[in-house]
Amino acid sequence: MKKDTLLSVSELKTYFFMESGAVPSVHGVSFEVKQGETVAIVGESGCGKSVTSLSIMGLVSSPGKIVGGDIRFHGQDLTTISEKEYRKLRGNDLSMIFQEPLTSLNPLFTIGSQLDEVILLHQQVTKEEARQKGIEMLKKVGIPRAEQVYRSYPHQLSGGMRQRVMIAMALACEPKLLIADEPTTALDVTIQAQILQLMRKLVKDNNTAIMLITHDLGVVAEMADTVIVMYAGQVVEQADVFTLFAAPAHPYTQGLLASTPKIQTIEEELQSIEGTVPTQETMPKGCRFFPRCPHASEQCVQNQPSLLKIGGGQLVRCWLFDAKEAASG
Amino acid sequence: MQTDTTMASPAERSRRIRSNRLLTWSRRLLRSKTGTVGFILVLAVLFLAAFADVLATHNPNEVNPALMLKPPAWLEGGSSQHLLGTDHLGRDIWSRMVYGSRISLLVGVTAVVFAGLIGVAVGIVAGFYGGWLDRVFMRLVDAFLSIPNILLALVILSVFGPGVWTLIFVLGVTNWVNYARLVRGEVLSMKEREFVKAARAIGVKNRMVMVRHLLPNVMSPFIVISTLSVATTIILEASLSFLGLGIQPPDISWGGILSDGRDYVATSWWLATFPGIAITLTVLGIIFLGDWLRDVLDPRGQNRR
Amino acid sequence: MASYIFKRLGEMIPVLLIISFIVFALVFVAGNPVALMLPEDASQEDIDQLTASLGLDQPFLVQYGKYLFHLVQGEFGESFRYNTSALPLVLERLPATLELAVAALVLAVTMAIPLGIWSATKQNSPVDLLAAGGSVIGKAMPNFWLGIMLILIFSVMLGWFPVSGRGTLGHLVLPALTLATGLAAEITRLLRSSMIEILNQDYIRTARSKGMREGMVVYKHAFRNSLIPLVTVVALQTSTVVGGTLITETVFSWPGLGQLLIQAVHTRDMAIVQACVFVIAVLVIFMNLVADVLYRLLDPRIKYE
Repeated sequence: MKKDTLLSVSELKTYFFMESGAVPSVHGVSFEVKQGETVAIVGESGCGKSVTSLSIMGLVSSPGKIVGGDIRFHGQDLTTISEKEYRKLRGNDLSMIFQEPLTSLNPLFTIGSQLDEVILLHQQVTKEEARQKGIEMLKKVGIPRAEQVYRSYPHQLSGGMRQRVMIAMALACEPKLLIADEPTTALDVTIQAQILQLMRKLVKDNNTAIMLITHDLGVVAEMADTVIVMYAGQVVEQADVFTLFAAPAHPYTQGLLASTPKIQTIEEELQSIEGTVPTQETMPKGCRFFPRCPHASEQCVQNQPSLLKIGGGQLVRCWLFDAKEAASG
Repeated sequence: MQTDTTMASPAERSRRIRSNRLLTWSRRLLRSKTGTVGFILVLAVLFLAAFADVLATHNPNEVNPALMLKPPAWLEGGSSQHLLGTDHLGRDIWSRMVYGSRISLLVGVTAVVFAGLIGVAVGIVAGFYGGWLDRVFMRLVDAFLSIPNILLALVILSVFGPGVWTLIFVLGVTNWVNYARLVRGEVLSMKEREFVKAARAIGVKNRMVMVRHLLPNVMSPFIVISTLSVATTIILEASLSFLGLGIQPPDISWGGILSDGRDYVATSWWLATFPGIAITLTVLGIIFLGDWLRDVLDPRGQNRR
Repeated sequence: MASYIFKRLGEMIPVLLIISFIVFALVFVAGNPVALMLPEDASQEDIDQLTASLGLDQPFLVQYGKYLFHLVQGEFGESFRYNTSALPLVLERLPATLELAVAALVLAVTMAIPLGIWSATKQNSPVDLLAAGGSVIGKAMPNFWLGIMLILIFSVMLGWFPVSGRGTLGHLVLPALTLATGLAAEITRLLRSSMIEILNQDYIRTARSKGMREGMVVYKHAFRNSLIPLVTVVALQTSTVVGGTLITETVFSWPGLGQLLIQAVHTRDMAIVQACVFVIAVLVIFMNLVADVLYRLLDPRIKYE
């Protein structure tokens, strides 16, 4: 399996220009996704993970705007290409599944026509061939009676079915990168497992990379190769999935893990992270996590830590490690 | 600030809230450009109507055959005696317009009040008693909605003949449905609220509760609908007067002046133009004011039409 | 589908019954029409005789029963001005009115759709602000005045279109434009707000994520969805449009229902007035039915009952 870099995001800044002033939703985010790899981006709601994914898709809508950094996909900087070139990528090499399967399909068109649409946009096929391909995709995502569903309207299907349709649509043109924004959050637990399994299988078949946006560490453990933890618009930790679960470095990651129930440690009390994600007005000057951090010191209040390598490919944005680093080096 | 309000006596508190509200309102009025424009336009018309006797330069019904169809003062052939010119009988248009504002406002406002009274009464009864009475009411609403306002007005006028009071009655009858629907809806939702059920359980008269809680709830949308109704009513009145079925001479209305001017539009454009501008500006002012009131009073915007 | 339409047609009956009752009651209150039918020097005996022969001396409910009996046969009585049955007279005028109403509707929709979409996609652009301003002025202007001003500008000053009458396409332009303005204002406003709401929906984001051109996203995905509220508002405006034709016809001497009706109101020709009311009410109710059916065709989520 090739391990070339497929997507590299560096110093991405996406701001929302509100009446009250500019709100930095994504503030200097950098990471990489390799071919065929699954990268999970984790964090509480409002930490900027969805905006990061929309920025990559080029779908940040007004008043939001990418104000800095670059997004390289196959070596091509997406922040500089024309809208026309972008359209050729979207739905084709670069596709996305959204959180709300119930509202993500247009209620007035049949499943078939919405599925054919993406195929006809990107492939030189006749309508009939598109129809064949559409039905084939529906079968692939495990939809029974695909021909019938093809002629159905979205409201006639269950949430799980609709998410399968969304996956079929996203994978119809065999994308190189699939961005899945909370793909299972709105679904029942039993359906969640099925959908995740389906995604894993389909992706393996085509060597598609996945950028999985989620707040659910269970999903992360099941799917991801690499994990990126975001907090208040910044990456605070990055590690491979085993390291992250075994030795979380950032106090925020530790808090997230402690607040997730685990079967092995059932006797332990479930922790929660005190406080909430800071807003624009309450954004600390130093480390953005310090008001909620059990290890916060004077340094954390004053200065922002930078993202630091702490060995084994693990990155962390925390003064605790900076201090150790400084002492040892 | 908040603790301050809770500490004060209830009377003091409500007084403070009220004066506070007045302040925010006037501030909001100034912030809304269209609201300010509307307010000024409406004030201007009220001013015209109130001081018509002073502002009019001539007796509005004084016929002067020597001065027929004179153009406005600033045009060639016009005279400073007649600011907006004269009509086919040599009457001064400015004076007629000034007096016309009285009828427009009088008819518009009275008709809306009349409609409000019928509408509120019917709405409360239908919502309160429900059952077959309510079903009949809903059919009645359907019936009224399927007859265009102007048609209903024409039918009633064909029966009773034209006249100011008939006109007010007619315009009221064409308008009451809106109020009745609003009040009925509010009464129905009111009946389901917990506090009404609770009050009923401890034996408080249902009717009393309804009146006490209904009125404050209906007040905001009521004011908004009324304001906008005055605008549509003024247009309807002008239309009927234009057709010769509304205000009858010697009473003066903008619609009537327009109707006179229509036959001379080819030669004396000012006759038909000025009353139309007056109607448009008045209605515009009321619409702006109404929209602003809606934004202030009814932030949910549930009564947007 | 067919059963739904039948159900809705069934619901029309009580509404028409109520209208018939209102109209009949009004005519009954209006008093004895016999005096108008006979020469002025007719004796009391002649009057009594005719009253009895017309059944006008019978009790209210008996008369109403007879009236209904005739009504279902399409018999509204004789017009004493034309001395023929009223309904054929009214139906004869209907095509002219429909022509005007349909032309206005088509014109309004063709003006409003691009304007509404443009305003929604380019919020606060000059076009948006212009459309918003135009909408509110279009709403504030009395229909008949706009008609007169159009005549003044395009017929009298520029000589592009005939002043009045019906016949060529040129005759249709100004009255249709007069009638279309207010309607276009209403539709533009609605379309703008519904498009803004729809463009923020998740499925629009999905369409964009497929790599679809923005124009296609707007026209195929968003506009299709906004057709649903659009149909509703157009149907609700039917009543206003028909009401508007009544006045517009008078301004442009358009030989339709409106002219006939207004003459009849002036001469108190009650048979014609009644026939007009019914024909128009049926038209309005029918249009609402058409809208409901269209609504169901456009939205697969609604099932026929």
